[in-house]
Amino acid sequence: MKKITSVVLLFSLIALTMVGCSGGTSGNKEIAFADAGWDSIKFHNAVAGIIAEEIYGYSWREVPGSTTVLHEGLLKGEIDVHMEVWTDNLATYGDDLAEGKLKELSINFDDNYQGVYVPRYVIEGDTERGIKPLAPDLKYVWDLKDYPEVFPDDENEGMGRMYGAIPGWEVDEILHKKYLHYGLDDNFIYFRPGSDAALATAITSAYDKGEPIAAYYWEPTWLLGMYDMVLLEDEPFDEETYTEGETELPAVKVTVATSNDFAEDNPEILEFLSNYKTSSQLTSEALAHMQETGDDYIETAKWFLRENEELLDEWLESEDAETMKNYLNK
Amino acid sequence: MNTDWLYDFPFKIPIDLGAIDDAVRGFSTKYDSFFNVIRSALNGFVNSIYNILDFIPWFVLILLVFIAGWKLSKKISTGILYGASLFLIGAVGLWDLMNETLSIVIASVIISLLLGFPLGILISTSDRADRIVRPILDTMQTMPVFVYLIPALLFFGLGKPPAVIATTIYAIVPIIRLTNHGIRQIDREVIEASLAFGSTKLQSLVKVQIPQALPTIMAGVNQTLMMAIGMVVTTSMIGATGLGMEVLIGVNRVEIGRGLVSGTAVVIIAVILDRITQGFVQRSEVRSDGK
Repeated sequence: MKKITSVVLLFSLIALTMVGCSGGTSGNKEIAFADAGWDSIKFHNAVAGIIAEEIYGYSWREVPGSTTVLHEGLLKGEIDVHMEVWTDNLATYGDDLAEGKLKELSINFDDNYQGVYVPRYVIEGDTERGIKPLAPDLKYVWDLKDYPEVFPDDENEGMGRMYGAIPGWEVDEILHKKYLHYGLDDNFIYFRPGSDAALATAITSAYDKGEPIAAYYWEPTWLLGMYDMVLLEDEPFDEETYTEGETELPAVKVTVATSNDFAEDNPEILEFLSNYKTSSQLTSEALAHMQETGDDYIETAKWFLRENEELLDEWLESEDAETMKNYLNK
Repeated sequence: MNTDWLYDFPFKIPIDLGAIDDAVRGFSTKYDSFFNVIRSALNGFVNSIYNILDFIPWFVLILLVFIAGWKLSKKISTGILYGASLFLIGAVGLWDLMNETLSIVIASVIISLLLGFPLGILISTSDRADRIVRPILDTMQTMPVFVYLIPALLFFGLGKPPAVIATTIYAIVPIIRLTNHGIRQIDREVIEASLAFGSTKLQSLVKVQIPQALPTIMAGVNQTLMMAIGMVVTTSMIGATGLGMEVLIGVNRVEIGRGLVSGTAVVIIAVILDRITQGFVQRSEVRSDGK
C-alpha cells in the first residue's frame, strides 16, 4: 500500500514538473554571459542583463569558467556575450579577432591601473584615526628601500615585506623582476600571497588596524574602490622594457566581445552593447558600494544605473533610455 | 498553472552576514596584540625547526632515513630506496624548499600531538565529553578549509603562522579519534584486573591502558602526519613557502613539469614519513602483543 502511494506521488510530481516547465521558457530569447568568476565581470553582466531584459525582452544567464575556457566558448558560440575580455591575458585574442572568429563590440574600460599600492595614511597620516605618517617621502616604488622597518616581514628579522601578485599570473613575474631591478632584495622580501582572497584579506586586515602595507593590487576591484590607497609611481610606461620590470605596468584594454552567431541573429541589442562603455573608476565605486551594503549584483547594477543615468543616454536610444529610467526609479 | 510553491522554499531567515563580518574583523583589530604574540610564537617555533633541519647536513639526513628504513623493515634494500628517493629531492634542487615544508608539517604535528593526545585520553574516559567533542571533530574535518583560512589570515596575517594553525585544525582530528578509540577498545577485564591488583586510575591509564592502545595511537600519529602533508599545497595559497608554493606556481602557470617535479617531492616525503611511522606502529604492535 505504501509503495503504491509513493509511486502515485512520484508520478504526480513528475507531471506537475512538466507542466511547470512547459509554461516558462518557450519563445524566449536568452543571452549566455561569460562569468569568469571575479566581481567586476559579474557586475557588468548584471548591468547589461537588466537592460537586455527590460528593453529588448531577453532572459539571461551566466556561464562560469576560467578565462581561457570562456574564450573558447565564445569562439564556439556557446557563450553569447563576454563583458570583460582582458585582452592582454589572452595570448590568442589578437589573432582570433583578425581571423574573424569573434566580434569586438566596444572597449568596456581601459583606465585600469595596477601596481604596488600603499594605504594613503602611511604617507600622509590620518589625524582622525590617530595614525602618524610613517613614510612621508614614499612616492616611487624604489623609495620602499628606505622603509623596510615600516613594512616589517615577521618571518625575517630586519627585512621588509612587499606583497607580490598571485603566483602564476604574468604580472607576478614582472613584479619580481621589478623588485630585483630596483634592488629591493637588499632589505625586502618578495612575498607571494598565494591567492586572490589571501591578498585581499592581508590588505583589508592591515587597513582595519591602521598598519602599513605595501602590496600589488589592480583595478577595478571593490578593494580599491573602498579603501584610500596610493599607487606608488614608477618610470613612465615603455612597451619594450615593462616586462623586465623597468617601467610602470600598462593599463589593459578590457573589451566587450560577442560570438559571431549571436552578432548575426541579434542586431538590435548589438547596438546597445557596441555603445557599452564604463570606466575602471566607476566599476570600482559600484563594487565598493556592493561590498558596503551587501547587496547582490542585480541590486548593485540598478543602484549604479540610477547613480549614473547619463550612461543610459549614451548607450541607448533616447526613448529606451527614458523607459529604463522610469523602470529604475519605480 | 503556477507551481512555484512546490519548488520555492516558503520563507527565508534573514541572516545578517555583514554583522558576522564586522564582528570577526572587529575582534581581530581589538585583540591584535594578543594574536601578535601567538603569531610570533608560532613563527619562532617554525623557524627553530627549520634551523635545526637546515643545520643537519644533507647526507646525514639521508643516512638517518636510510638507517631508519633499514632497521624498521629489516631489509637493506628498503633503506637504500628511501635514501635514494630523498637524494632525488636534493638532486632536483628542492632541498631547501623541502626543509621549509617539513618545518611547517613538523610544527603542526607536534602541536597536534601535544593537544590531541591528552584530549583523546580525556574523551575516552567520559562518554559525555565524547558526545560533545565528536561533532566538533566532524566539523573540523569537513568544513571547507578556506572558510576558516580567511579568518585565520585576519588574525595571524599571511605566511607560516596561519598555515600551521590551519594544518593543525585539519590534522589534529585523527590523533584525538584514534587515541580515544584505542583506549576504549581495551577489554574491560584487563582494566579491571589492573585495578583489582591495586593500581590507581592514573597508574592503570599510564601503565596498562596507554601501552595496550599504543598501536592504535601510533596509527593516529601516522594519520595526523599524512593529513598535515596533505595540507601543504592548500596552505601555500595563504603564502606559506615551500614545496606547496612550487606546486601552486606550476599549476597556475600550467607549467606541468614544474608541478609534477615538486608534486613528486611531496609524495616522496609523504611516503618516507608514512613508512617510517608505520614501522613504529608495527614495532609497538609486536611489543604490546609480546606482553
